[in-house]
Amino acid sequence: MPTLADLLARVSFLAAVPAVAGILITAGLLVVSRDWRLNVTVLILQYFFVVLLLTRLIRPEVAAVKGLIGWMICMVFYLTERRASVLEQASAAEGTAPSRRRRRWIISARASFCLLAGISVSVAAYMAALRIPLPEVPGDITLACYLLAGLGLLLIGLSEAPMQVGLGLLTFLSGFDLFYVALEPSLAVAGLLGAVSFLIALATAHLRVAQVTAGSEGKTP
Amino acid sequence: MIAGPLLLLILPLVMAGVVYILLRWASLSALLAVGTALALGIAVVTLPLDQPVQPFLFWGEERQIAMGETVTFLGRELVLEQADRMAMAYLFFTAAGLFCLAWRSAPHSLLFPMGLGLLSLLSGALLIRPLIYAALLVEIAAALSVFALQAEGQPPTRGGLRYLTFTTLALPGVLVTNWLLERYALMPDEIGLLSMSATLLAISFALLLGVVPFHTWVPAVASDSVPLVGTFVLTVGNGAVWFLLLDFLETYPWLSTHPHFGSLFSTAGLVMVVVGGLLAPAQRRLGPVMGYGALVDSGGALIALGMHSRLGLTLALLSLLVRPFGLALMAIGLSGLRARSGDDDSFDALRGLGWKAPWSTAALIFGGLSVAGLPVSAGFVWRWALYRALAPASPDSALLLFLAGLGVVVGVWRALSVLLVRPRSPEGGGNPQSTSEGWLTAAVVAVAIMACVWVGLFPQILAPLAARLAETYTFLVP
Repeated sequence: MPTLADLLARVSFLAAVPAVAGILITAGLLVVSRDWRLNVTVLILQYFFVVLLLTRLIRPEVAAVKGLIGWMICMVFYLTERRASVLEQASAAEGTAPSRRRRRWIISARASFCLLAGISVSVAAYMAALRIPLPEVPGDITLACYLLAGLGLLLIGLSEAPMQVGLGLLTFLSGFDLFYVALEPSLAVAGLLGAVSFLIALATAHLRVAQVTAGSEGKTP
Repeated sequence: MIAGPLLLLILPLVMAGVVYILLRWASLSALLAVGTALALGIAVVTLPLDQPVQPFLFWGEERQIAMGETVTFLGRELVLEQADRMAMAYLFFTAAGLFCLAWRSAPHSLLFPMGLGLLSLLSGALLIRPLIYAALLVEIAAALSVFALQAEGQPPTRGGLRYLTFTTLALPGVLVTNWLLERYALMPDEIGLLSMSATLLAISFALLLGVVPFHTWVPAVASDSVPLVGTFVLTVGNGAVWFLLLDFLETYPWLSTHPHFGSLFSTAGLVMVVVGGLLAPAQRRLGPVMGYGALVDSGGALIALGMHSRLGLTLALLSLLVRPFGLALMAIGLSGLRARSGDDDSFDALRGLGWKAPWSTAALIFGGLSVAGLPVSAGFVWRWALYRALAPASPDSALLLFLAGLGVVVGVWRALSVLLVRPRSPEGGGNPQSTSEGWLTAAVVAVAIMACVWVGLFPQILAPLAARLAETYTFLVP
């Protein structure tokens, strides 16, 4: 049976520019998409790419633990959104269905704006990586850090919905974590940062449940 | 032997679990929460740091408590120092007061267990060395407080989400600062590292303290959450951040000798005061009035610290000590009024409610006066001293602060004018949710108002404490 080191060695060819490209695509999709299934899948992939880059800076075991925390967060989001979608479908069945054509048009306009904003932030991150390189990390990881932090901030700024803000905060923290492990490789800090990420996920899931519950209670007479 | 720092961390956590289990019984859970916070506050103040105290029986064995003993936890030191001792007493006593008020205003709320959990984390933030771990603990506390800020059956609170967001954004600056300072210790010629550290710290603390333009979480926490939990965040949580800032200034004295130290704090404070003073009277809901009042109060404290003197530091600390009186009163007033208006605190929904909830209205008015810094209220104690200290050197700042206080008064006055509108007929303002306030609630509110007035009339109660607390910090001594 292959060990963790063997598995990581097999995918190590991805732990450079391909991982950065993966981070650009996944973080960009998080900014544009409002579909929870796509968002959870993309977040799982994003944590995979982050773990790949982390293996270049810290021990693979520690990187794997960080990845596990990230994937547990994805599980929390999946379960929360699954429950929320059931509740929302139940309350939507009681009310009238909105016009599909109108809804599609609104999503398209919002997604276009988010895409444009995401491209602008990505260009800014690329320029920042060229002009303000981060200490102790290679150039491609610097770009990944700026992309994650910038697109995470954009995600926070674009919405007040708990899950979107939560995804933004976690993306931002992933970017910072990728940089900070090179400065402070302490296990205590890694553990506390993992706890912070997990608590942010729980807090946003709690608010999402409150949003759905309040919505469904508001519709019942 | 039980080390004091461990006791301060573990006991509130254990009691948080117990209180959560007993949350169904509001009086019992409130009693336990108040008792725990009070006991720890008294222990912090009374037990000596330099020697173990009298042994006591613990499961049949004699035990001693050594408050000053340094504990190593996961390789990090937990140290209770003189300055932290007073700071922690402030946190515990303020929390005890808020728990006591929550007994009548927010029974069954998560404030009791979460508040105790937050006390443990914030105590840890003040005790742990090096200070970077404090930032992580404050962040964890912010994430936990979201659970308590969210009211049962209400839409998601913007306040909790924004508070969490701004605290998370503040985290990188504090963490990277530690690395920069370690690097500077190895390469003392690189002065740029110090400038970068100072900049990062300034941004991080601006985010944590709600300095304009990072202030949006302050009115959001006050308006879109359980009022007393919002007050807990704005007094206990914010107080811990203030003491953390002072710990940073004490640990790195070059920060306070930075040429822009005074101007930075004064400008930040003035902007907060102006924004809060302008926006408070323009609100059409009570929650934001309270939030902008808190913004003005924080701004005043920053102006005091910007004076770069022992007097300024004493006034900033005094502002922290008296802030809970005003904000807690406003919060119980807001809770009482919201309970009778279907959780709506807009002026239209509050029309005429003052006659049905006179004690809540009185609490709101006295709290508002204290937050605005008007006479015969706790807030006046430090505001008057600050006006006098500012007037000779910077009369414009004193005038702006005074006008901002008036802005808060106008906001409260508008609320009062709506609350005291006479109903047209006995049935006219009938609300199916309206209930009597009850003598117990009235008694709690009356005691809280009397405490606020008493502190305002006798400033010699809290002022010496603030002066003693200021003496524990040496970064302003030339």
